[in-house]
Amino acid sequence: MKLLCVDSELVYREILSLCAEKENIHVKSASTYDEAIQTFIDYAPDIVTLDVIIKGGNAFDLVRKIKHLSGKRFVPIIFLSSHTTDSVMDQCFKSGADDFISKPFNEVLFNIRLKTHVRHVELMKEMYRKNKALTYYQTMIEREHEMAHQVLNHIQNRSENNSEHVAITRLSAASFNGDLALVKTRSDSARLVFVGDFTGHGLPASIGALPVMQAFFDAVDDLTPVEELASQINRILFNILPDYMFCAGYLILMSSNGKIEYWGGGMPNAFIRRESGAVDYLQSNHMPLGVLPFTEFEDNFKSDSLNAEDTLIIVSDGVLELKNDNGKMLGNSEVERLILESYAEKSLLEAQKITVHKLTEYLGDSLQLDDITLVALRNTHL
Amino acid sequence: MSISVSVNDKQNSATITIVGNFDFSLFNDFRAAYSDLPKEYELYVIDMNMVEYLDSAALGMLLSMRNAVNPESDIELKGTNDFIKNILMISRFDKRFRIQ
Repeated sequence: MKLLCVDSELVYREILSLCAEKENIHVKSASTYDEAIQTFIDYAPDIVTLDVIIKGGNAFDLVRKIKHLSGKRFVPIIFLSSHTTDSVMDQCFKSGADDFISKPFNEVLFNIRLKTHVRHVELMKEMYRKNKALTYYQTMIEREHEMAHQVLNHIQNRSENNSEHVAITRLSAASFNGDLALVKTRSDSARLVFVGDFTGHGLPASIGALPVMQAFFDAVDDLTPVEELASQINRILFNILPDYMFCAGYLILMSSNGKIEYWGGGMPNAFIRRESGAVDYLQSNHMPLGVLPFTEFEDNFKSDSLNAEDTLIIVSDGVLELKNDNGKMLGNSEVERLILESYAEKSLLEAQKITVHKLTEYLGDSLQLDDITLVALRNTHL
Repeated sequence: MSISVSVNDKQNSATITIVGNFDFSLFNDFRAAYSDLPKEYELYVIDMNMVEYLDSAALGMLLSMRNAVNPESDIELKGTNDFIKNILMISRFDKRFRIQ
């Protein structure tokens, strides 16, 4: 800790040095205005004391000048003076001083005040250090999230393009939250769908996505049954991910006759909007992918069917947990109502647009925290 | 502290109480809560009466705990509200935990 003492009187410079050095504070002195500024620049003190009367200049100007030179650094300035009228003190504080101690001063009192300022400076320094570290980490995380988005976009690009039979909408938030949606039509005209949600955010969440993508597109080429693909993905993720990470997901195979076979683990209900406006659900009945060891994994799948004009809609939990201006979550029943209404529309792409519009409307001015994934399917061949 | 731990040697159980949101911010504290205990217990209770929200990171932390403690020991998830119970059930946590 360094202190600069600006005083025209030698005796005060010495008293102050003695007091401060007892507190392990290193002291340099200046007796004139110009010397004070030069010493401030060269010595870069943490604390400055000065008298109201200074040779070669105005003390209030000096305070302003020093505060300016300190820039972002917090340097407390303490007046030590025998001029103790209200108007003088008022000028001292108005020019930017942080404290005022009248001369002649009591040594004990001076030391207590000095210690307070030292503590203050130390706190500010620590805050500055921590702030710098936080800024560093924040920048790093932002870059990582960008990278995760890029990795995921690359994967997503291999998925089938949107049409009147397949519509995938992703609304990206600032942080990548691990949603993955893949759709591809196989050589036998059946369509394979994977909608997954990896634990966590950012880069860690995207790591499992690459091998899952590989397994998915291999399964499309090899006409692998749903239960076998589920088992494969589970084994891959169980092996590569740490035990606190997994992937909730639906694997769905839709045959050209509308028959659906699906495996679901850890996902909210998916909806089938029947042509009549009635609703049925696809339900997860397994632990998420990557949790259970190979020997315990259950690959039994469920079946359903998608008839002409029925729509299958899968939403990520980002949709269910969407918060409006008042911090209220959208929730299950509201999502269901909104979906049943929107997908009454004959054109799938149009219905998808309507849904996104309604979600955006619900969000209002509040910030979208999570990525949102919305997958809708209709049967091609009926 | 949003996590506190108490042990009951007579019942051979340890209770970890969580207050507030159960999410990634508790990662280290939650792990410390069960791994810093002096011995293994027959029953671990995670008291979530004061938890409103839990995210998938919290599910991961619970699975990690399940792997870390003795497989013979029970882990009971207590005081779960409807929102949390629903999340636990769609991930079939009833297969590895006692959900109350």
